[in-house]
Amino acid sequence: MARRVPRRSFSPTMLRLVTAIFVLQLLASTLVILFLRGQMLDVVRLDHERQVIDVRDDLLAAYYDGGREELAGFITSRRGSAADPAVFIALIGKGPPVLSNLVRMPAIASAARPQPVMVRRGADQPPSEGLALAGLLPDGEQLVVGVVSLTERRIDLAFAATAGLTIALAVAMALLSALVVGFVISRRTHLIAETAAELASGNFGARVPIEGTGDGFDHLRQQMNLMAERIGVLVAQLGTVSGALAHDLRSPVARLSAAIDLALARASEPHTIEALQAARADADALRAMLETALEISLIEGGAVEDRRRPLDLAAVVEDLVELYEPLAEQSDVRLEARLAAVTAPADRELISRALANLIDNALKYGGAAVTVSTSQRQDPEGEGWAEIAVEDNGPGIAPADRARAVERFVRLDDARTRPGGGLGLAMVAAVARLHGGSLALSDPPSGRKGLVATLRLPC
Amino acid sequence: MAGRILLVEDDPQIADYILSGLAEEGFTVDRVGNGRDGLFLATDSQFDLVVLDRMLPGMDGLTLLKAMRAADMPTPVIMLSALGSTDDRIAGLTAGADDYLSKPFSFGELLARIHALLRRAAGGVRQVQDTTLRCADLELDRLTRQVRRGARKIVLQPREFRLLEYMLMHAGEVVTRTMLLEAVWDYHFDPGTNVIDVHISRLRRKIDDGEELALFHTVRGAGYRLAAD
Repeated sequence: MARRVPRRSFSPTMLRLVTAIFVLQLLASTLVILFLRGQMLDVVRLDHERQVIDVRDDLLAAYYDGGREELAGFITSRRGSAADPAVFIALIGKGPPVLSNLVRMPAIASAARPQPVMVRRGADQPPSEGLALAGLLPDGEQLVVGVVSLTERRIDLAFAATAGLTIALAVAMALLSALVVGFVISRRTHLIAETAAELASGNFGARVPIEGTGDGFDHLRQQMNLMAERIGVLVAQLGTVSGALAHDLRSPVARLSAAIDLALARASEPHTIEALQAARADADALRAMLETALEISLIEGGAVEDRRRPLDLAAVVEDLVELYEPLAEQSDVRLEARLAAVTAPADRELISRALANLIDNALKYGGAAVTVSTSQRQDPEGEGWAEIAVEDNGPGIAPADRARAVERFVRLDDARTRPGGGLGLAMVAAVARLHGGSLALSDPPSGRKGLVATLRLPC
Repeated sequence: MAGRILLVEDDPQIADYILSGLAEEGFTVDRVGNGRDGLFLATDSQFDLVVLDRMLPGMDGLTLLKAMRAADMPTPVIMLSALGSTDDRIAGLTAGADDYLSKPFSFGELLARIHALLRRAAGGVRQVQDTTLRCADLELDRLTRQVRRGARKIVLQPREFRLLEYMLMHAGEVVTRTMLLEAVWDYHFDPGTNVIDVHISRLRRKIDDGEELALFHTVRGAGYRLAAD
């Protein structure tokens, strides 16, 4: 896996999600409460208006029945519909004002419908809200009938309590739903992310299980799988492309070499021969690179028959050192073998090729002394490893560049600037991997300068 | 040395190059472009050698070769192939090819191998059983592992001995670097640099230095030849 991300269900993203859910829920509840309150207040208000009109009608009936005396009596004795403690009545005009449930006459203009009004019902009581209807009697006196809004206040109190409860509930529900949603989303996304990590680490067979729910997550999973499928195909193509290219280039290169050879056979002019020989050398270098590219793609593709058998690696190294020794001597390089008997199951041809690449590289770029050694060691898990190390005392490779140096396509780039040397390490690494081993580049021990290329094979 | 060669190759340009090269060397070449015609010609007429491409239309080279061998035709066959891996080489050799050359190859390489096969078919193999190999005044005793040039005793490393032994077995023929790598070191890859040249020049110094007659000859574009002329 490329990078471990700490798995948390509650992250800043989740916090924002929770807040959003909470705010939305609160907003929704508040709107509902306000709407409900408005509706109820309307109902109560209509009720009060009707009550006010009823009382007024009763009062008018008494007035028409027995005149002002009868009306005043009706008011002061609070008969019939006027008995409600919430009802207040005032009659002001010719005689002394008749007040019921009131300290003084409320300030109100005549209107067809009851109006909101502030009234004081007792000397020691604060003014309270009410609904009153004012009108003029035929003899010019003003009659005010009203109802104190006690119910509204109780409703408001109830709604305040409800609002508090709602907020508390909203907080609780928002937290709970956020946790549940967060957990579910988190679990699903982590599952998808794990598959993505598998893909990133090179396992292109990794797929996200489809749950068939048909939601956005399923869509995401399907797209992930499609993408993985496509990546797998592309990577496979990429792997075979260099092989196919090398394969297709062989025939033209064969013709090129043949043409140069024919020309060489007929040439007599020394300059022409020189030029043709240079062309021939380049054609050979091109051919060698094609061979290597093709070989790598064959090995990487696993299209190589298993010809591993117990191989005396010391003998293999000895043969190769012997092969290269005259060349080393000619280039004033001291080539030495330091051998310990090691046997590992290996393909002699491939291991020899790989080792030839390492020695060739060391002779070309590695300074004045090259040592090839074999050794055997056990890692902490008890696995046995055979190691062939090629150490030189040249300029080496900077630690930062070592991982890159072994990569195939990166080396292809380098190969353009350094003909013939480019694919070598990639080839060695491919051979090592085919054997279940590895190629490692490191510094020589005890502070010497140079480079150690170690081919490790399981044994 | 001339001879009649059947060339079975479907790539017209490569066939042209091989054809003109071989004609220049004095060979009579019959050329066909597919496997079925190839098999027909090979069984119908007498050839000294067949140069056979592995991938052919009609009938592939391996099948053709197996059919020839099944019909008890001993004609030497050199197989050419764009498939250069060890697996392919082994498949070709097991099917009955006498030599296997992966494309691209140099014409010199092909020519040297054709000559070697023709010589072997003509009875040059006899030398394999000889205990003493000779070329002019150079003498190699395979039993005592002694090498002499005239009266001079030459001390050789084991590998130099095998190199010289191979050169002597193919005295007079052109021996390519690849042939030496295969026969003396048993490697079927190209080590890239001129490793073989350096080995040969070392051996050449031991054999030819101070002698009036040089036995080692460099053949341009192909390899080496050990001969008294």
